[in-house]
Amino acid sequence: VTSNENSPISEPIQSVASDELVPSAPIPTAAALAICSGAWLIPGLGHVLLGRWIRGLIFTACVFVMFIMGLAMHGKLYGLEFEIPLQVFALIANLGTGVLYLIAKYLGFGIGAMTSQSYDYGTTFLWVAGLLNFLIILDVFDIARGRKP
Amino acid sequence: MNLSHFEALVMFALIVSTVFALITKNGPREQFRYGVFVFLSFLAVALAVGWIMYPLPL
Repeated sequence: VTSNENSPISEPIQSVASDELVPSAPIPTAAALAICSGAWLIPGLGHVLLGRWIRGLIFTACVFVMFIMGLAMHGKLYGLEFEIPLQVFALIANLGTGVLYLIAKYLGFGIGAMTSQSYDYGTTFLWVAGLLNFLIILDVFDIARGRKP
Repeated sequence: MNLSHFEALVMFALIVSTVFALITKNGPREQFRYGVFVFLSFLAVALAVGWIMYPLPL
């Protein structure tokens, strides 16, 4: 339990559980961007590097589970296809998962079986896994710059 | 993996609501309450929209 020394009232203003509510000192932009790059490559790594272990591990689990479920449901991982330009948006969403996307593509996963009943669901799971990681990266940047606890 | 539509919806809602709660709220209690709210909202809206579409011809 911490107390506010400047306050005339000597009551504690924060509980132990809310210690993390205090924003940390901002780190330089270049270092923040480097941490964001790590957070992109491995979902959750950014929070771990900033000392938010539990949050980071939960984010890792969420993105990994969603990505693996997407593959298991025969979803499609998009590549760069110039014939269909609008697919670039799907590619950007997929790229959000960082190293997961690269490994899955390298191993030949994510071909996408359109005959599968769960194809659409799987593809959506793969998109959302990447998009969630983009949100997580923005959260990492805000924490690193001291804008939020 | 053969999940029913509802099971896929539940998994989707669970993961997304967890991430939303952790990103948007700070305290553990706030995060839990918001996560439960978002999760239940996902399910409620999906069920409502499903029933609205039910009488429509395919």
